[in-house]
Amino acid sequence: MPEIGIVLSTVVSGVLLGGMLALTALGLSIVLGVMRLVNLAHGDFLVVGAYAGFFFLKFTGVDPLVGLPVIALLLAALAVPLYHFLLAPLSTRGPEAQMMTMFAVSIILENVFVLAFSADTRTIERDYATLPLTFGSMTVPLIYVIGFSIAVALILMVHWLISRSGFGRDLRASSADAQAAEMLGVDVKRVQMLSFALGAACAGVGGTLIGAAFQFGPSSGGAYLLNSLAIVVLGGLGNVLGTLAGGLALGFLQSIGGLVLGDGYRDLVGMALFLLVLAFRPDGFLARARS
Amino acid sequence: MRNYKVRLKVGAAVTVASIALGLGGARADEIVIGASIPLSGPLAGFGSFEQWGYKRAVDEVNKAGGISIGGTKQMVKLIIRDDKTDPNATASNTESLISRDKVVAMLGSCTPALVNAGALVAERAKKPIVTACDPLEIFKSVRKWNYAWDLFFSVPELAAAQFKALTDLGVQTNKKVAIWHDNGPDGQAVGGAIWPALAKEFGYEVVQNAEFPVDNTQFTSIIAEAKSKGADVVLGDAITPQAIAIRKQMAAAGYTPKVLNIEKGAEPVQFAEALGKLSDGIMVGGYWDPSFPYPGAADLAKAFESETKLTSSQHIADSYAAAQILLDAIAVAGSTDPEKINAAIAKTDKTYVVGPVKFDAEHTSKLPIVSLQWQSGKTVIVWPKASATGHFLFPMP
Repeated sequence: MPEIGIVLSTVVSGVLLGGMLALTALGLSIVLGVMRLVNLAHGDFLVVGAYAGFFFLKFTGVDPLVGLPVIALLLAALAVPLYHFLLAPLSTRGPEAQMMTMFAVSIILENVFVLAFSADTRTIERDYATLPLTFGSMTVPLIYVIGFSIAVALILMVHWLISRSGFGRDLRASSADAQAAEMLGVDVKRVQMLSFALGAACAGVGGTLIGAAFQFGPSSGGAYLLNSLAIVVLGGLGNVLGTLAGGLALGFLQSIGGLVLGDGYRDLVGMALFLLVLAFRPDGFLARARS
Repeated sequence: MRNYKVRLKVGAAVTVASIALGLGGARADEIVIGASIPLSGPLAGFGSFEQWGYKRAVDEVNKAGGISIGGTKQMVKLIIRDDKTDPNATASNTESLISRDKVVAMLGSCTPALVNAGALVAERAKKPIVTACDPLEIFKSVRKWNYAWDLFFSVPELAAAQFKALTDLGVQTNKKVAIWHDNGPDGQAVGGAIWPALAKEFGYEVVQNAEFPVDNTQFTSIIAEAKSKGADVVLGDAITPQAIAIRKQMAAAGYTPKVLNIEKGAEPVQFAEALGKLSDGIMVGGYWDPSFPYPGAADLAKAFESETKLTSSQHIADSYAAAQILLDAIAVAGSTDPEKINAAIAKTDKTYVVGPVKFDAEHTSKLPIVSLQWQSGKTVIVWPKASATGHFLFPMP
């Protein structure tokens, strides 16, 4: 049995990390909920966010956390033409065509990263990214606390936007039944475009946090896409608060897996959980609460 | 009908473009050699240096007029394919180099998983391949090679270097060592077997031995355990992205051992670039430095740095030497017959930029080992003392 300090440090770090991972999954969840699209380029959007944070710091000297709104807007602005020129024309061809298109975008983005930024592994170098916070025998990384706080705040903001605003009402209507919403006067294409942009903006913020907390490179997107998919399935498709709960649960269970089986088996625990939920509660474990 | 015409036009255009780009195979008046190396993916940090080393050797030969084949000077064409750090891609690239590009011989990739994948294909096709970047014992363990040749370091020598260095440098620690290694072939050999045995031999207590997948990203529990057990010395074996993650997460967990050595991943300069000050004091085994007393060593690093404006790496030297060995062998053979080239490689006995190279019966040639330490973004030799190019930074800041 590991010492109590190790258990506390690992589990609390896991939950904090889970909050950050929930933010990385939020964009995928929104797009899936509204457009019924599994955005296979979502991991690469996160990488764009990480590069954006890296170069924002490099060229402006301003902390990327301060620049998060700019990075979010940048990602949203990049997402709009992607939706307009690639996804919207395929909207009548079923979700598979859009999904394969985003798969192609993912491959193109990875290659663009290599060409533009080289294949080097990078990290956003900030003092707070490597400082520990110690409480008695427990130590957690400060960046996890910062990332968790930003992630939870942003997820709650998005939840408010979707549950209380006019755009949110249109989004929920489009998500529930796009055809009916359109008949009632909702501009579904506009809602989808804004949802796609919102998802990309969330990925931009999440990617910057990931870039500060960890390392990243052109091919880092795949691993984050997998984690995000697991979180979305755990929390329920398109459910914003469910995504947060899914992230926290994944972080907690992965940390238990890391403690019991070793750090190398964290992903195994996450993926096993992913398959179990898919098999027994395909709508996510918050499905009953929602219904 | 219209579709058919369009397809016909596209097909014709592709064919013309392929011919124009030289994708259709070798010209009769040139010697084609090839390499599949990691220019993207986690090992891209190695591949970029390898590419430079290979190209430089070929460029030098071509500038000197090429290689005489049957009394006629022929230029050398080097075809490089990106294996994306995927052994399956290395194997398929090697197949393509042989069947499509018609290479007469090849140069290797980097790290055992990639090098061995390509070498096995070359071996099957009876095409010579000269490689570096594959620790000798692991290379030899794959099979009895007939067409693959490896110049690199010996694993037990590299593994012992840090223990010898700590002893010779009179380092004072509590003699508690934590070993963290990936589950790749070299990680398992070094971290799983050789380091624990050496620790015992040098009077260290192994308080932790943790294995993780090559692409692992989270090291929280591993670090917390080593910290709680008070290990003054941490020996790691991981590729570069993981080495960077380990150091960042150690700092974020408030754990700074007196000695941190990370084999493999701490070699390329991108490791220090990504970590900045956090790389200071980290040790890594090395097999080459511009200060080595071999012909062209200092000039090679200068040439790299002036051409690329980047800090050089030891990987430019072994890749440059591997290419020179192959080109020398083609020249000695005076032929593009793979069998004759292979026979000439076997007779290599010359001092290159990495030192004397002479292959043994198992097709390997051993490079000397030193201990390097990152200091202000550059590596300095700290052991052996006779070769030292800087003072040993202790304890790690």
